[in-house]
Amino acid sequence: MKTNDVIMQFTAKIVFFIIFFYAVHIFFAGHYTPGGGFVGGLVTASAIVLLIIAFDLKTVQSILPINYIYLVACGLIISLGTAAFSMFVDKPFFTHFFDYFNLPILGKTSLHTAALFDLGVYLVVVGVTMTIIQTIGEDE
Amino acid sequence: MSFQILLNLFLAFLWMFLSSNYSLSRFIIGYLLGLLVIIALRKFFKTRLYIDRVWAVIKLIVLFIKELILANVSVLTLVIKPKLDIKPAIFKYDTQLTEDWEITLLSSLITLTPGTVVVHVSDDAKSLFIHVIDSNDIDETIDSIKYSFEKAILEVSRS
Repeated sequence: MKTNDVIMQFTAKIVFFIIFFYAVHIFFAGHYTPGGGFVGGLVTASAIVLLIIAFDLKTVQSILPINYIYLVACGLIISLGTAAFSMFVDKPFFTHFFDYFNLPILGKTSLHTAALFDLGVYLVVVGVTMTIIQTIGEDE
Repeated sequence: MSFQILLNLFLAFLWMFLSSNYSLSRFIIGYLLGLLVIIALRKFFKTRLYIDRVWAVIKLIVLFIKELILANVSVLTLVIKPKLDIKPAIFKYDTQLTEDWEITLLSSLITLTPGTVVVHVSDDAKSLFIHVIDSNDIDETIDSIKYSFEKAILEVSRS
């Protein structure tokens, strides 16, 4: 007996975007204000979990066909690559670089390799959380 | 409707390019001029003007705020009455709304005005089950939903 939860599904569809945008904002705010890759990843995972609660596991897997184990691997490779890059230019492991660039639209922006490392952390957190939740959820 | 908004934006950009002045004030002037042109040529469009729909949305918001205040006052009078003579009930309300967002909006409006709570949407999405705090004037409740909220939402959604 499938009940009609039209209110829940419609609200989840809208709220998903709000939560996801907030997660991206928190990810980029991590350098000067509270936030960063870990929290951003958890908030993104919670947005996907909201979709899973409103619909069901198979629907969400067909909407977002992501293999979360590969996502963890990609995140680890990005983080390790960022950390290991400094060894090729005769600096100690984990040395970060930053500089100011004049980008076409954003103007003067400081780009920091710590953001790349954080991106790796973000992907790992999303992947691990979603893998745990999907594995538990699929247990029939 | 979306075509009219796109056309209006296009006219605003055209105005900016004509005056080769790319500031926000120019854009707003161009947008208002485009709106005037679209209103003047309303006979050419198959659907109604989008500004009508914006006006309907504003009316719906005002109606909601008014209903919220009135309903809260009525619940306050129920609470501070020394004698509690209420008869709670759940009744079925047949709606004529079809779209998902319409049903969600109507349910949220009914739930946010005190005294009534939507507990379930039927499986064919044709009727709502509403819990009402005082079933003495149930027909009045149905009428007030039908002729205020549902009418306003239909006003927004009709093409």
